[in-house]
Amino acid sequence: MRFLIRRLLALGGVLIASSMIVFGALYLAPGSPEQFLVQGRTVSPEVLEAIRAQYSLDDPLPVRYWNWLSGLFTGDMGRSLLTQQDVGALLASRIPTTLSLAVYAAVLIIIGGIGLGILAGTRGGVAERIVIFASNLGIAVPTFFAALVLMSVFSVGLGWFPVFGAGEGAVDRVWHLTLPALALSLPSIAVIARITRTAIVEESESEHVLIAVARGLPKRIILWRHTVRNSLLPVTTAVGMHIAGLVAGAFVVEYAFTLDGIGALLVNSVQRKDFAVVQAIALIMVIAFGVVNLLVDLLYTVIDPRVRLKKGQ
Amino acid sequence: MAVKETTASETAASETAASETAVLADALAAPASPTSRLAGARRRLGWIGMACVGVVAAVVLAAVVGQFLVPYDPTVGSVTQRHLGSSAEHLLGTDQAGRDIFSRLIAGARTSLLGPLIVVGATAVAGSALALTAVWFGGKVDAFLGRVLDVLFAFPSLLLAILGVAIFGPGLVTASIALAVAYIPYSARVIRSVALRERHLPYVKAAELQGINGFTITVRHILPNVWTQILTGSTINFGYAIVDLAALSFLGLGIQPPEADWGLMISNGQESLQQGFPEQSLYAGLCIVVTVAAMAYIGERLGGRAAAGRSKR
Amino acid sequence: MIGPELIGIGQLELGIKDPDTGVLKPVLKGISLELGRGEAIGLVGESGSGKSMTLRCILGIEPRNAAVRGRIMFDGEDLLSLPAERMRRVRAGRIALISQNPHASLNPVLPIETYLLEGMPEIRNAKAARLRAGELLEQVGIRSVDRVLKSFPHQLSGGMLQRVVIAGAISGKPDLLLADEPTTALDVTTQAEVAAILDEKRRDLGMSMIFVTHDLDLAAAVSDRLAVMRYGEIVEIGTPEQIRDNPQHPYTRMLMSIRPTLDGVQPALAPAPQPQIGSIL
Repeated sequence: MRFLIRRLLALGGVLIASSMIVFGALYLAPGSPEQFLVQGRTVSPEVLEAIRAQYSLDDPLPVRYWNWLSGLFTGDMGRSLLTQQDVGALLASRIPTTLSLAVYAAVLIIIGGIGLGILAGTRGGVAERIVIFASNLGIAVPTFFAALVLMSVFSVGLGWFPVFGAGEGAVDRVWHLTLPALALSLPSIAVIARITRTAIVEESESEHVLIAVARGLPKRIILWRHTVRNSLLPVTTAVGMHIAGLVAGAFVVEYAFTLDGIGALLVNSVQRKDFAVVQAIALIMVIAFGVVNLLVDLLYTVIDPRVRLKKGQ
Repeated sequence: MAVKETTASETAASETAASETAVLADALAAPASPTSRLAGARRRLGWIGMACVGVVAAVVLAAVVGQFLVPYDPTVGSVTQRHLGSSAEHLLGTDQAGRDIFSRLIAGARTSLLGPLIVVGATAVAGSALALTAVWFGGKVDAFLGRVLDVLFAFPSLLLAILGVAIFGPGLVTASIALAVAYIPYSARVIRSVALRERHLPYVKAAELQGINGFTITVRHILPNVWTQILTGSTINFGYAIVDLAALSFLGLGIQPPEADWGLMISNGQESLQQGFPEQSLYAGLCIVVTVAAMAYIGERLGGRAAAGRSKR
Repeated sequence: MIGPELIGIGQLELGIKDPDTGVLKPVLKGISLELGRGEAIGLVGESGSGKSMTLRCILGIEPRNAAVRGRIMFDGEDLLSLPAERMRRVRAGRIALISQNPHASLNPVLPIETYLLEGMPEIRNAKAARLRAGELLEQVGIRSVDRVLKSFPHQLSGGMLQRVVIAGAISGKPDLLLADEPTTALDVTTQAEVAAILDEKRRDLGMSMIFVTHDLDLAAAVSDRLAVMRYGEIVEIGTPEQIRDNPQHPYTRMLMSIRPTLDGVQPALAPAPQPQIGSIL
């Protein structure tokens, strides 16, 4: 329990520092903040006034930071510099898509990555060689390329899946998100399959497995209870890291498939220099990244008794 | 793996066996003369490895002198020549603006390798500087730098890069520097752990007592021993940088049109792909995949048996 | 040899194939040994002499890149040519191994109870099995049985864990106990305790034992006979008294002469010449 509190505090500290970076990035830009925010567009004096108010540009720096941060907590993330829409509302409408995509990809990584790794590690032979080769390829294939290849083959070519959009309704959504989730998870599946296979191989050569053989335990038990189960420990950390990384990979896939998630919105906003939106989304992603990482750490302490219980307890 | 169905001889080496035969193991250690090391490298690479070296060499060649050898100007196209398939005149066909794809691929090698080079160089320099400083001074300095790195770790790499591009605008240099900043924490952490070991060795203490200043000791003694780690890390980072920079270009945040760049070409070719002309995106993507896979294979082979997996499998 | 023969090793040879060069390095060069029922023999020698490898050959768990030749007759069957399933049953019920490092021998994520229950698959009822596990722990001198059963290996000390291993070893009432330096990794006081428990249990149950160690005195204390090994060969066999009073082989004589006495340490003889490395198979 104390461990949990300590980690939460650490996370909090890091998030605050990160928010300062996200906030302060604005001031790193060349030119004055207003010039940067406006980016040479012609704006009416009212809009300019609104921008100054939004960013409290008349106030000293710490006050500005505080206003911005407290605004976030109340859900007021300002207005889009381009469309004057409320950023909060904008994000709220688009987060579900990103979330669905991430969850879908995470499921694929867990089932596909670990499953293939176990297959390669336990069966050996041809299956293993295929998995190793495929995973070498998978690691080298960038997500967006995988996305386009999948699109080319399965959407344009075979017409099995739609080319863009996120669909309406649950089933339609799953159908629309299948190719994007696949593209997003492919590199991770490759890496996880590799890691799982290696972990199983290494575990099978460990002393305690040798002793299990020496004790005459049945093959099945040695394989599943002693080899595979133990090797899943380091695999879990890797899977967790990759799932956390989905946060970043998502925007590339969303952009390629024109999904209405916050990732695509981030890219578009950067292209159109709508910095208010960029800041808000960046912060959300950092928070999500941090939270998922924390959950992975906690999960690890739960499954490994060596971490959970100290000696003498 | 599997506890195989053989006769009485069953699995794996254990520590006892290793110690039994360790005595005689030294006798078989290979001599380390330079010619034999080259021959050793060639042996470890094997046929596929040598082919990979060839591929990488070809790409580097294209990057360096390619622009002078292209059959067509990569930025100029004729509207009447759009979407042609492979032919004698256009080896890989043309894109939607009538530009020769083959020429663009060769020209694209330059930015596709140059960017990562900048990234890797900047990362190595900044990462080592940070790590060595932290290691030398230890204590509060180390702790402080550690906190700073923790905050950087909270950002997924691509996100940090995107943020940087948002502030300073798109382009090869900004994208590369932004990506380097994202890579620095990982590089610094690894270098730090290696340098830490060196730092506490007796000869360093001796040099300190002699009154030699920290900077000289670090550069002349610690750095050479950390050098291999820096090099290995840079090689790995190079592969990641190729993919990440291509992703940034794909998102329109890296290299800008009409320059030729593999990542950009993938993006440019997306519309054509959706119309049934996948050539531009496909070939550009293949270039990335093949280059990164070749580098990864070489790295694995030269990295020793441990990197490639168990020798007995 | 005391009693009817239980296990007879005949001309056992083992070589390890070097993966880079393909050369076969000899490790065991013709070991021959007989052991009777209820008899304990101590296998003594320096590191690298092949003593642990001999044990592993008996159980059929020598390294994958090893080539083995010879015979190991166990109760009428040659272990080296048994099919896999038969060998597994021998390992499960008739021969037990106690290894040097208990923390490495047990699966770190499974509690002690699981470890012990694995060793008694013939007891179907879970409650009965748990009771038996508790009994076994008491037999090796562990008092807080319930706590230990629920513990994980890393929570117990080396000595405690080694007792657990002993308990697991005797649970199936095997004919033969193979002890591979069971006390070497423990501190001095615990060494004596664990060795005593092992010796006591072995005699109680009438099991044969091959006790591998580099400690001559320890071997002499728990064994009926001693076999001295060097460079993959047995150079001398005899009772502890015979070895002590009348060592035949120069190596044995050297071992005897360098043991410290209260008068001071005797100077050692010049080290024996290195063996020739050549193919043995």
